[in-house]
Amino acid sequence: MVLLAKIALGFGATVVMAGAYTFREGLIRVDVDETSGEEHHVHVWVPAAMVPMAMHFVPRSQMLRAGEQSEKFMPLVHAVAKELQNYPEAELVEVHDGEQYVRIRTHNGNLMIDAEEPGQTVHVSCPLATIDDVSRELATLAPAS
Amino acid sequence: MSTRTRHLLPVVAFLAATFLYAPLNTQAQTSTSQSSTSAHGERWLHVRVISTNSKGETVRVNVPLDLAEKVLPAIDHDRLHNGKVRIGCMDCDGVDVRTLFEAVRTAKDGEYVTVQSNDADVSVMKKDGQMLVHVHDKNKSKDSRIEVKVPMKVVEALLSGSKDELDIAAGLHALASQGDVELVSVKDEDNTIRVWLDSKNVTD
Repeated sequence: MVLLAKIALGFGATVVMAGAYTFREGLIRVDVDETSGEEHHVHVWVPAAMVPMAMHFVPRSQMLRAGEQSEKFMPLVHAVAKELQNYPEAELVEVHDGEQYVRIRTHNGNLMIDAEEPGQTVHVSCPLATIDDVSRELATLAPAS
Repeated sequence: MSTRTRHLLPVVAFLAATFLYAPLNTQAQTSTSQSSTSAHGERWLHVRVISTNSKGETVRVNVPLDLAEKVLPAIDHDRLHNGKVRIGCMDCDGVDVRTLFEAVRTAKDGEYVTVQSNDADVSVMKKDGQMLVHVHDKNKSKDSRIEVKVPMKVVEALLSGSKDELDIAAGLHALASQGDVELVSVKDEDNTIRVWLDSKNVTD
């Protein structure tokens, strides 16, 4: 009985630790709801800590290709993500155009993009630190000019 | 494993979990202490466009000047390189813009250009280190007014680069050192446009 309790405690502690580590860097969240015509709902929640880890499992050739294709704009993305981390709570852009609405802001260190129009809503949230990490990783893969 | 060690295990596990969750807690505290006034020294450039047409379009853009200044050099596109934009006509139709600016910069405050007509009133003046342009368009059904205020320090910084380029990054840096100022104000029958600088991270 004591042995079982020890195993359960060890397993529970491991799950808590793993969960805490996975979620401490936040979530990448993509919610797309299309209600006009045929309804589509896409909801993707990915722990942000998984992305840099997952990048190590992507074949080198594909990563080099991604680095090459993003060579021009990745330094800009990296600079924006790095600097925006100094502004964890900021309203950056808000556009109302009739029934269309776009809002870009930072909240709790996440870059949040909300777009709404009749029949369709898109909400994207991604930790700035993750964008910074990924863009820095891709920038290092870009061929030297 | 001794009895004492066994008792300590849950405490260690709790402390480890607390440590791992610590960044989340910090973020939560940050969000609750959010304020409309940004941290000391932050300068924000705001753009607001409000259209009074049937759609009621509004655009609000808030950009931290520090961010713009640091990000600009990362843009390498077309004529914009390293925070500087190359322009082909600093000697426009025989008018040397730099010499003209230097003459205005060293001149005393005063109203340099005044045009009054049935269509529009235009005035260009220099006052307290700022260049002011006022246009009052009388042609439209409802009066249209444009007011532009450009700090001379900003123009000086913009022209601090080499001959055929404007140093935008230096201009932003100079702008950041200005106090709260309304740079552009346009009011006509359809739109209200404002561009201004202050220390708040939200528009009013």
